[in-house]
Amino acid sequence: MDEKYSNNVLSGGHLGMVEVPNSRLTRYIVLLVISKILKALGIFESYDILKVVHIVQFIFILKLGSGVILLVFQKPFSSGKVISKRQWIKLLKHSVFSCIISLLGFFGLTLCGPLRTLLLFEHSDVVVIAFLGVLFTSSGGGPSKTRGAAVFIIAVICLLLFDNDDLMAKMAEHPEGHHDSALTHFLYTAIAFLGVADHKGGVVLLVVSLCLKVGFHTVSRKLSVELGGAKRLFALDNLVSAVVLLPWVIVLSATTESKVESWSALLLPFAMIIFSVVILEFYVEAICNAKMEVQRCARYGAIALFSSGLLLANFWTHPLTDQLRSMSKSPQESSTEHVLSGGVLVSAVFFMMSSSILSSPSKKGQKGTLVGYSPEGTPLYNFMGDALHHTSQSLPRFIKDSLKQILEEYDSRQIFYFLCLNLAFTFVELFYGVWTNSLGLISDGFHMLFDCSALVLGLFAALMTRWKATRIFSYGYGRVEILSGFINGLFLMVIAFFVFVESVTRLVDPPNINTDMLTPVSVGGLLVNLVGICAFSHAHSHGGKSCSGHDHGHSHHGHSHGDHSHGSHGHSHGGHGHGGHGHGGHGHSHSSGGGGMNANMRGVFLHILADTLGSIGVIISTILIRQFGWLIADPICSLFIATLIFLSVIPLLKDACEVLLLRIPPEHEKELNNALQKLEKIEGVLSYRDPHFWRHSANMIAGTIHLQIMSDVVEQRIIQQVTTILKDAGVNNLSVQVEKDAYFQHMSGLSTGFQDVLAMTQQIEYMKHLNDGTCIM
Amino acid sequence: MLPLSIKDDEYKPAKFTLVLKLSGWIRSILADKTSRNLFFFLCLNLSFAFVELSYGIWSNSLGLISDSFHMFFDCTALLAGLAASVISRWRSNDSFSYGYVRAEVLGGFVNGLFLIFTAFFIFSEGVERALEPPDVHHERLLPVSVAGLLVNLVGIFVFQHGGHGHSHGEQGHGHSHSLFNGTAREAAGHGHRGGHHGHEGHAHHGGHHGHSHHGHSHHDLDDERHLGSGKQILQGVLLHIMADTLGSVGVIISALLMQNYNLMIADPICSMLIAILIGVSVVPLLRESIGILMQRTPPSLDRTLPECYQRVQQLQGVYNVQQPHFWTLCTDVYVGTLKVVVAPDADARWILSQTHNIFTQVGVRQLYVQIDTAAM
Repeated sequence: MDEKYSNNVLSGGHLGMVEVPNSRLTRYIVLLVISKILKALGIFESYDILKVVHIVQFIFILKLGSGVILLVFQKPFSSGKVISKRQWIKLLKHSVFSCIISLLGFFGLTLCGPLRTLLLFEHSDVVVIAFLGVLFTSSGGGPSKTRGAAVFIIAVICLLLFDNDDLMAKMAEHPEGHHDSALTHFLYTAIAFLGVADHKGGVVLLVVSLCLKVGFHTVSRKLSVELGGAKRLFALDNLVSAVVLLPWVIVLSATTESKVESWSALLLPFAMIIFSVVILEFYVEAICNAKMEVQRCARYGAIALFSSGLLLANFWTHPLTDQLRSMSKSPQESSTEHVLSGGVLVSAVFFMMSSSILSSPSKKGQKGTLVGYSPEGTPLYNFMGDALHHTSQSLPRFIKDSLKQILEEYDSRQIFYFLCLNLAFTFVELFYGVWTNSLGLISDGFHMLFDCSALVLGLFAALMTRWKATRIFSYGYGRVEILSGFINGLFLMVIAFFVFVESVTRLVDPPNINTDMLTPVSVGGLLVNLVGICAFSHAHSHGGKSCSGHDHGHSHHGHSHGDHSHGSHGHSHGGHGHGGHGHGGHGHSHSSGGGGMNANMRGVFLHILADTLGSIGVIISTILIRQFGWLIADPICSLFIATLIFLSVIPLLKDACEVLLLRIPPEHEKELNNALQKLEKIEGVLSYRDPHFWRHSANMIAGTIHLQIMSDVVEQRIIQQVTTILKDAGVNNLSVQVEKDAYFQHMSGLSTGFQDVLAMTQQIEYMKHLNDGTCIM
Repeated sequence: MLPLSIKDDEYKPAKFTLVLKLSGWIRSILADKTSRNLFFFLCLNLSFAFVELSYGIWSNSLGLISDSFHMFFDCTALLAGLAASVISRWRSNDSFSYGYVRAEVLGGFVNGLFLIFTAFFIFSEGVERALEPPDVHHERLLPVSVAGLLVNLVGIFVFQHGGHGHSHGEQGHGHSHSLFNGTAREAAGHGHRGGHHGHEGHAHHGGHHGHSHHGHSHHDLDDERHLGSGKQILQGVLLHIMADTLGSVGVIISALLMQNYNLMIADPICSMLIAILIGVSVVPLLRESIGILMQRTPPSLDRTLPECYQRVQQLQGVYNVQQPHFWTLCTDVYVGTLKVVVAPDADARWILSQTHNIFTQVGVRQLYVQIDTAAM
């Protein structure tokens, strides 16, 4: 108890990781975002350049250029320790690997286009490690990480399957002439061997190389420590890679013919790419990683990169930008750009989500920790309250749990099955309607969907009823059931009203109804609803059976009617009568609280009943119109149905209103009156005051009462007796306030006026400080 | 809607005839300013609807007939509000030991639900029309919607005036907000044929503001029930009328647009926007009333209650506080029950009155404290 309340005090406070104020970090974030945007630009530019320059040459130039620049900035040879021979060998291996990875990456770029490369290849190490951790280790970091990984996988799948890039197919038919090198040829054949389309192969290639890249970065950390810093390693690595690539480039330029007209025109783009993709990004990442947490860095970076990638992909092929870049590009090449498809958009959004989820810091170790002291000096613990508990639930587990909960109890199970049936029918109808392009079917399908909302409401209420009481809802959520019944009832009333109005207008001016499509659909709907009525009336009888003998008879009654349901008309009558009966039985015969058909189930049942009546009405009026040509039959039928619905809803609404208005439960009224009379006869009790009893939910009757007792009796005994007597009368949540006469006088004086009370309490408060404990009595 | 059939025992001796009953109802309606306003407005609305209906039947115009039925539907909302405001003043009896004060919350809830339904219908209709823009006959629309607008303007005037005079507590706030509403409404004239709801979000907000204000600072209400009966009902009804007014303005403007510029697509878009606005603006009212109906701990006590528990626990001899239930009976009337476990030798009476003091200070009017002695 103690902790519970202290937890309450804190509930408004802000808990969580201590975060560095954002204002100080803003410039780093801005820097990061700018560098990412530039990087996206560079990748787009390099995609254009790769169309004319051979990939190995491109990488060679990239490595060489950045190596030279870094040589100037970092001075890797003149500063730091001397590098031993073994370290040189390691460095060589390292740079060979980095060459291979950048080859793969840029090859993927040529295959997939810049946007997809950005989405796939440019993930931060943190994100990928978290992702792989979720996939391959048991303790992945909790449900949120799992969710992130799932989103990641969905994004990749979106790129693979739903990205209908028709330009890709065109390119696959005429590969753009880079086949001349052995390496690219090998890769092409490998992808073709996998049996996927070109750009899909590129996606797979990029994912694999992303994993390789991350592994490579992780492994190379040790080497960077050995060599004295990541920057030095980076500089050396670039240089060594350039040296490694040099012979290949020489061979290439000797054997093949370059497509480049003038290298001087490419100088500026190359400089830009080297600057933005390699150098600026490297430095800014290093700075930001030092200043912020890596996770935040990764999050902001990924979002900036992806969104700028999206924007660029949209505008890169725009005529305006073509004009701007007219000197470096020949016009006919713009037709080979990759289009921005819906799949890419979706997957970009998913990638952003996953990277922000995966890079969010894991919130572990917050359960039951000491968070501080209250003003009174008692220690306050932050226990995982219900609100916190909800946020950390995993989505699949949540679904599983709620399914389990649904199937646990009879009511919700019934509603759930019927909902599934209804939904299936609706979707079949909708699909068929879309397929045959019939507006009537589609609108009917939407109407069914709308009806499903009532079922969903009922299901939700049936679930929510079982939630445990919280601090805010101290009596529990039992009332949801009544509210849901009430809402369903009101809903039905509104529907009945509208049906009524429409039928009146039709009565004035009967429209010509196309009866061809109506019958099969309404028969289908009728069948579904009949199943529902059977199920629910069964539910009622089931609930009734557990109660008492009286109800047994009633349930049989309902049952026989349910069995009777072959003739449609007869059934509708039976259903109606059954509803009324069920109510009557409820009102009269239940002795123990609960059981029977609760308001929620009654609401759902009435809804289904109304639907059934509607279907029957449609069928009957269709038949009448077809056989006799009575166009007036339709509005009359709907008038009749509307009235029927209206009448059948009224008892439900009345009951729900009574409960909501805190009436004494009618079925307990007599017993409660008897109990109150008994109370007065208890020895020592003078009188009682303010007896309030009300039904809170189906199986809970709450009550409060004031008792005036003589000053010489033991209070505990009286409370015990009163509680027992009222519990016998059905009240299971009772609080008794026992007052002795002096107190009664005092409090009746207090309760004359609110303002007086306030003044008095303040005065008393003041007096209490003067002489504690003696002032009042 | 509301259980009019549940008669108060005190009002129902056997010899009462229907006429007497009716006159009694009318007298009780006229006794209170809120219900009087509601009643007059309801009469106005109803007569307008009847005129429209009879004229529609006479001239055989479907549009007028359906519009008049729409008016009738609006009247049900008013009727619900009226019934609630009358019922909430019935005295408590054996069955309804707390009285009928909760009818006010229920009335607001019903009104809110109706608005939600209407919003939903408008939305679906808007979608339908966006897919397939119909030909709207705008010849007769204009006079009808102008008349509807006039009626609703009268309603707004009456209610703002009434609410104004009624609850002097929230004067400043309410007034400025209502002014704001006026301008907002003028500015936000978007069109929709069905005659529906718009920027009453502001209006609602204004009311809400006033309410919370009220909850905190006013304790000098000699008759809290009277003022309370206004709150939720008035909120709901005012929302409804504002919605109708905006709808009329919308219809007028859309009719003008269609006549002059032939902008057909503006109509469904506007109606969808309006529907969303209604939905959003009704949510606070619904949330509040659902909270009250579900016996939620009053939000205004959320913060103060834990302190109170701590203070009770610090009383001499108190071991523990158990099963605290606090809930709102109707606006600003809070009820609470509490079990206090005390030491066997503690002074139960002193603890009882101290506990009462503690909770009365934060505004809990009815408190039931059960004192349990801890087992030795």
